[in-house]
Amino acid sequence: MARVVAGRGRGAIDPLKLGAPLGGALVFLGLARAIPVMHGSQGCASFAKALLTRHFREPIPLQTTAVTEASAVIGAGDLLATAIDTVRARFHPEIVGLLTTGLTEVNGEDVAAELRSYVDSIESGGPLVVGVSTPDFTGGLSDGYAAALEALIRAVPLDPPPGAPGAAGGPGGPGPTAILAGPELSSVDIDEIADLVTAVGLDPIVVPDISGSLDGHLDTGWSPLTTGGTRRDDLRRLGGCTRIAAIGGATAAAAEALSERTGAPVAHFGHVCGLTATDEFVAYLLDESCWSTSAGRDGAQRPVPDRARRWRARLADGMLDAHFTLGGARVALALEPDQLYGVATLLREVGAEIVTAVAPQAAPVLAEVPCDEVIIGDLADLEERAREAGAGLVLAGSHARAIAERIGAAYLAIGFPVYDRLGAGLRGTAGYAGSLRLLVDAANVLLDRASEDHPAHRPTPATQRDAGRRSDPLEESIC
Amino acid sequence: MNGTGAWAAGSGGGDGRHRPGGAAAALASRASSIPAALASRASGTAMTSGQAPDVRDEPACDHNRRKSAAQKRAGCPRPKPGAAAGGCAFDGAMITLVPITDAAHVVHGPIACAGHSWDGRGSRSSGPELYRRGFTTDLSEQDVVFGGEQKLFDTVIEVVRRHRPAAVFVYSTCVTASIGDDLDAVCRAAARRCGVPVVPVPSPGFAGSKNMGNRLAGEALLRHVIGTQEPAYTTGYDVNLVGEYNIAGELWDVEPVLSKLGIRVLACVSGDARYRDVASAHRADATMVVCSRALVGLARGLHERYGIPWFEGSFFGVRAMGHALRGFATLLNRGDGVFAARAEELIAAEEAAVSVALAPYRERLAGAKAVLYTGGNKSWSVVSALQEIGIEVVASGATKSTEDDVDKIHELLGPGGRVIVDGTPAKLLDLVRETGADLLVAGGRNQYTALKGRLPFLDINQERHVPYAGYAGVVELARRADLALSNPVWAHVCRPAPWDRPVGVG
Repeated sequence: MARVVAGRGRGAIDPLKLGAPLGGALVFLGLARAIPVMHGSQGCASFAKALLTRHFREPIPLQTTAVTEASAVIGAGDLLATAIDTVRARFHPEIVGLLTTGLTEVNGEDVAAELRSYVDSIESGGPLVVGVSTPDFTGGLSDGYAAALEALIRAVPLDPPPGAPGAAGGPGGPGPTAILAGPELSSVDIDEIADLVTAVGLDPIVVPDISGSLDGHLDTGWSPLTTGGTRRDDLRRLGGCTRIAAIGGATAAAAEALSERTGAPVAHFGHVCGLTATDEFVAYLLDESCWSTSAGRDGAQRPVPDRARRWRARLADGMLDAHFTLGGARVALALEPDQLYGVATLLREVGAEIVTAVAPQAAPVLAEVPCDEVIIGDLADLEERAREAGAGLVLAGSHARAIAERIGAAYLAIGFPVYDRLGAGLRGTAGYAGSLRLLVDAANVLLDRASEDHPAHRPTPATQRDAGRRSDPLEESIC
Repeated sequence: MNGTGAWAAGSGGGDGRHRPGGAAAALASRASSIPAALASRASGTAMTSGQAPDVRDEPACDHNRRKSAAQKRAGCPRPKPGAAAGGCAFDGAMITLVPITDAAHVVHGPIACAGHSWDGRGSRSSGPELYRRGFTTDLSEQDVVFGGEQKLFDTVIEVVRRHRPAAVFVYSTCVTASIGDDLDAVCRAAARRCGVPVVPVPSPGFAGSKNMGNRLAGEALLRHVIGTQEPAYTTGYDVNLVGEYNIAGELWDVEPVLSKLGIRVLACVSGDARYRDVASAHRADATMVVCSRALVGLARGLHERYGIPWFEGSFFGVRAMGHALRGFATLLNRGDGVFAARAEELIAAEEAAVSVALAPYRERLAGAKAVLYTGGNKSWSVVSALQEIGIEVVASGATKSTEDDVDKIHELLGPGGRVIVDGTPAKLLDLVRETGADLLVAGGRNQYTALKGRLPFLDINQERHVPYAGYAGVVELARRADLALSNPVWAHVCRPAPWDRPVGVG
């Protein structure tokens, strides 16, 4: 639906894009007893780690091969081996994700070959070591995430596929359901999705699953590895999966790879944000579980689907409550492609107008975003276009807060990174409950401003933020 | 006498100044050194175009001086792959220069370098906010193949057109250094086109640790910035602070104290800094290197080129503040002892006021034990500050500390104190358990080490939002330590879950 256009120009001012290795690291942070290692100079890992730590407010397992000047020239293969040896000796991980960076991609090293010879040299029973090519100069967070998830799916040892001798299940059979989760899904989103799958009587394996690792939980102590996430034996069980649900475009390639390996059919969901998309996802689950939508055939399991029914009803009701506030609201978004698609769709469901949509890098899904135009650009593009369009509400990561202030718009922090708010890792954005949470929060930040900006209570000139500010479109929609 | 030696000299008062001869001699040497410096800068630029200057051999670093020839050849310790912590040289260069708040800081590299770091630190400005914006060439694969020079040029021009910065700093990164983009040439061309200074900072991350980046940034300032402008006026009591970043506005707790002595901070490298102030830093009368081994090279350069004497110190704690003020008093002495006498008066008055303010906290904090894990000369100055607020420090880290720093830690901690060698999170928590410490005082990196161990925590490093410098900062440190230790949350989160309680209890 949307025209996808390039932004303002060369270079970036207030970048929105994040590095592919960071996206790749997120995949491994959603696996149990895992640690990603960035193959680059120390800063590649330390900057990513700092950003992830600020967002999740959690210790982030992330290591580096610490490439230095000489090894950047003569080859860093020995550093790669040393780094993984050290990580194995000190932390005993079950999974190591090795992510290349701009530095180790630009000097022409054959990292894949180096990694293969390393893996061949270690005894069996060691950790699963997955190499991913994630040069910083190609794509962004979502692309790195997609590459890492696909590499993981291709590398992980699987149980024999359904139909193979000795294997359980078969297409449509009772095997587990693979849920490939995109980077836009928070811990509570994943919880809700997994609950829905379980509620219809299916057995979900969510990959990656940050709901157990980056949700912020106080455990028995500090750990150098992830403290939750998809377990290695669950990854192995993917071999027997009988259906694959891929949520978000960033999981599409991995889903196809898993389908190639298992023969299980793939259902692609661009997002599960909003009533209609969540309904489609639930309808799929019901079809797969052979339930009728009117009543379950197994009375004993009915209380759980009731929960979904109740949350759907709450979302529908909440949408009606929110449509007074969000209907006609002029919204500017700057988010990773899949989340941009989902959030725009959700807000459109209650009549908001997406007047500015910015994505950090191209993705096929951007053409589907329900607005006139999607800009591939940075936050300077967001500021310029949102100001021109008279946006009254900005939804983006914390870097956009200053922009919202400058253009006099309300602001809700979503996406990545969010460091000016607590609870970013637990923000709901998908499913019935998560969509409701996001709608309510978006409406509330507008309501805060609506009371500030009511014509009867104009701010005095001294407190006016910006003389050039456009009138708040809310005044038109509310008054 | 040099480097940390000045600290001892400051406490003893009197000799050991860096200035060769009296004030007149210094002025003479400075006047003659300016053209020489400009000449060397011009030739230096031509010779080392696009290359990192040789900053590995720092004569003013006593740690470096004490090394054997073989150790010097081996260079600074390399980070251990798979067990490294901390940032790269690019990170260090940005830390040093980005707080020049009216400049635009353009990162020439792929997205991660700027994209993951911009507006990431707590260095505050009293005016311009330009330094908080993120500017990068955001190199694509095509740029890597065909070179990124034109894109860099275009980006600098666009940034200047849109934001009218006082200057532009351009940072090279691993990728742009590897593909051989000529940073100096592009900066010269862009400066000619847009009419504002465009300063190349060769800072590929692989050049080393954050410390190396600090040094590269200092070198860039000496080479391209300092000495290029003149201050609006001089007071005769103008000083440079080097290695002070105005984290959480700390500088604003220190400056008023200095101004009570009539001292003006001419240039702060870099905290709440303006380009012109830094460019006219050569007119200062003294330099203080604040908590930084990495920037002694800048202080030495200011001394060698402009005859500005310098000393090292810290603003953390009552004792360190006294040393800092005495250090300035000695360097700014006009030979009549008046300035030193005024400094002693001020120190006495401030210490008396702080003592009153600290009294209630000292009472509440009595008996509390802390493990301190930080680096450089903060490892002793913060020990001192914690002791002043009534906390017993049972162990302190010593990464990036010099032999002198370590000696001071031993002296302050006494025979029972431990110097931390292995600072990994697990070892820190073990140490806390062994020593029965109540509090971990460390950098933000270890915040979650403490929290996951259900241990009260105080952030002492760069990412914090609370100012601890100056006399006001000591009181704030006491208040925060008290808040951390007395918070009821620890009792609650340490309760066992209902299902973990022994049967029949509670």
